[in-house]
Amino acid sequence: MMTPLPLGPRKVVGVAVTRPERTGTVQAYVPEIAKGLALTAQHFLQNTKQWALGQRPDPILESINDGINVISYPEQRRPYPERFRGMHRLTQREDGSPRCVACLCCSTACPAQCIYIEAGEYPEGDSRRGYERYPVQFVIDELRCVFCGFCVEACPCDAIRMDTGIHAAPYDSREQFLFDREQLLSFVGRDGSSRTANPRHEPGDPTHPGVDREHHS
Amino acid sequence: MTLMTELIIIVAKVVFLALLFCMPVAVLLTWADRRQGAMIQDRVGPNRAAIFMPGKLAAFLVVVPALAVAGLALGLAWLNKIEGDTPIVLGVLSNQLAIASVWITLFVIAGRIRVRGVSNSFDVFVAALGDPRAVLGFGVLANVAFLAMFVMLKGTPIVATLSDVSVSSGPMLFALAVVGGAAYAAFNLGKLPRVGLRLAGTLHAAADGLKSIFKEDLVPPSADQFVHALAPLIAFFPVLVVLAVVPFGDALCVNSSSVVADFIHQAPRVCSGTLIKLQILDVDAGLLFYFAMGGTGIIGAALAGWASNNKYSLLGGLRAASQMVSYEVTMGLTLIGAIMIYGTLRIDQMIHWQTTHAWGIFVQPLAFVLFFTAAVAESKRVPFDLPEGESEIVAGYFTEYSGMKFAMFFFAEYVTIVTSAALMVGLFLGGWHLPFIDRQGIRIAVAGVVYWQLALPQVLVVLLGIGAFIGKTLLLCWLQLLVRWTVPRFRYDQLMKLGWRILLPISIGNILVTGLVLRLLSLGGEGVASVLSTAGDLTQVLIALLGLWAGTALAIELLKPAKHKKLLATSAARFAEQMGGIRSRRMGA
Repeated sequence: MMTPLPLGPRKVVGVAVTRPERTGTVQAYVPEIAKGLALTAQHFLQNTKQWALGQRPDPILESINDGINVISYPEQRRPYPERFRGMHRLTQREDGSPRCVACLCCSTACPAQCIYIEAGEYPEGDSRRGYERYPVQFVIDELRCVFCGFCVEACPCDAIRMDTGIHAAPYDSREQFLFDREQLLSFVGRDGSSRTANPRHEPGDPTHPGVDREHHS
Repeated sequence: MTLMTELIIIVAKVVFLALLFCMPVAVLLTWADRRQGAMIQDRVGPNRAAIFMPGKLAAFLVVVPALAVAGLALGLAWLNKIEGDTPIVLGVLSNQLAIASVWITLFVIAGRIRVRGVSNSFDVFVAALGDPRAVLGFGVLANVAFLAMFVMLKGTPIVATLSDVSVSSGPMLFALAVVGGAAYAAFNLGKLPRVGLRLAGTLHAAADGLKSIFKEDLVPPSADQFVHALAPLIAFFPVLVVLAVVPFGDALCVNSSSVVADFIHQAPRVCSGTLIKLQILDVDAGLLFYFAMGGTGIIGAALAGWASNNKYSLLGGLRAASQMVSYEVTMGLTLIGAIMIYGTLRIDQMIHWQTTHAWGIFVQPLAFVLFFTAAVAESKRVPFDLPEGESEIVAGYFTEYSGMKFAMFFFAEYVTIVTSAALMVGLFLGGWHLPFIDRQGIRIAVAGVVYWQLALPQVLVVLLGIGAFIGKTLLLCWLQLLVRWTVPRFRYDQLMKLGWRILLPISIGNILVTGLVLRLLSLGGEGVASVLSTAGDLTQVLIALLGLWAGTALAIELLKPAKHKKLLATSAARFAEQMGGIRSRRMGA
């Protein structure tokens, strides 16, 4: 038979906490100090042994164990997780030019307004003229960036990514945090590639949906 | 002895005790207090200071000393070539040394491979030998087996042959092991582009000292300039000077003109020649000198607090002065009982009493605990660090100090640890004495029955004594650090209560009880005296057994394999796993 849940505030049943008794040894102070010293000494010997013999737990793989679980940065580093948003990179096309079409979606989406793009038209006669543009300048102020990733979300071309797995190094002047087009193009992703797995459908490719709605090329 | 030689000996003693022992140990303690204190909190502590050098240079620096040691061993063997029959003792020694050096080298290399991983074909070979513990086990077994062979087949021609072979090939094997080990290290270091010399992190202490020298020396404009500059000197100087009356080894007896020949013979029970005491200042007032000089340190802290013209400094200075004066009383009174028993104020004679009877800790255990407590309070360290209680008075009497002046106060604190540890070793832990070792050598005897004895040259006995003194001092220093890491700070009224209402009455009670017991024992006569002497011998047995137990327990603990559970829960952990773990990344390479 189900008992209905009581309405109203639930009755709280407290647990009696046992207070340490003020026994003779506690009051005499010295035995308790000896106990404390023994405990510290045990910790000390254990950790010193593991440190000296190179047996300390791996600070990442075995960090659930007792012991010195610290990472001596920068010699030892915790690898960033897969989806870590690090420094930006501009992905490349097959010919090494940026995939970016200078649509300004990223700089529009950027809440910190740290992306500056100067769009340029392809020269007369180029098949891409009138279809897409290219960034003459593409500058990101990494000091202003809040690493929210909105630019990556906004990009229709998979041209900007934050999958480099590196963070901005500490420089000594503000200018050094301004990364220009060539620097951003030179960064590679975690997999070491400067391209992306998403194929690009250039005008003229059979997979290309067409440059306009009327004329399928 | 001419005045010149006496002067040279005194300078040598000062250089050894102050410059080579006390100050380096104090510097290391400033570091160890933080480094090893971090260890108890599962941290790594300060270890960043490094001297970077190319791997090739590091390899060179490893090989050169190894070649020097090997060359020295071979050269000594060549110069002391023995004609005719070799003494068995020499055979045993070189045999054991050769075997031990080979397996120790192999053991260390196997351990390094275990930590760093296999990187070449030699590593594969060593790793195939199995666990480093197996190498250790077989090594010790080999040593024991050869030793047993020497003992069992005593007197047979086999032993003579074995001894000959050992003496001729031992130094070569030793040299081979040293050079081989160094070559292995050099080979691995030479491949690295850059190696950071960190000396296990101890270089950090040197970096801190250098930093202190070059830091800006700030003096408050309204401070008393002269006294402000004088205070750190007054705080630092006395704590170092008190070391002069603490003997660090047994006296050397020189009879003839050839000092070297005298040293390698046993010291006679009564020295008829010149006695070189291993103690800088040999005065009757011994212990009084210690307290007189040590008491001067109070003035440094008080002056620093006064001269800074800062209310926090003044409070700190006053606290330091009242605390040190209070505990100075207990320190002095706890020792009265010990002085009554030893019947002298000279620390070297106290140690002599302890070598022939029992260590001070057995005859005055309560005094040891009281004195240790008072000594920690005297050095103004946790749990008695109220003069610099950060939560209340910024940094106490050295709030207005910076740079090397601050470092001198800081350093004085650690020098106090070393000097008070050295004094406690002399008063309670038998100074340079090791159980069953006297001037003639090893002599295991209980209640007049000699079980085993072995004569040793004088220089070896004295060196063993100096080693024992240093070891015991380091142990007590470590104990003081351990107290700092464990016990939380007192409140100021608790501190005063502890000093005046608890420690002082107990120490006075200790004097009364000691006097009473001494009087009763003196009434006991011959029977009681013989019982006491046997009890004294038994304390030596106890110390020896304790030492053996501690050594064995430590060895077993060190050899225990470390078991760690692995947990791969995040993508970062998976990446780390692909890298082969984070732990194996070299520091500074």
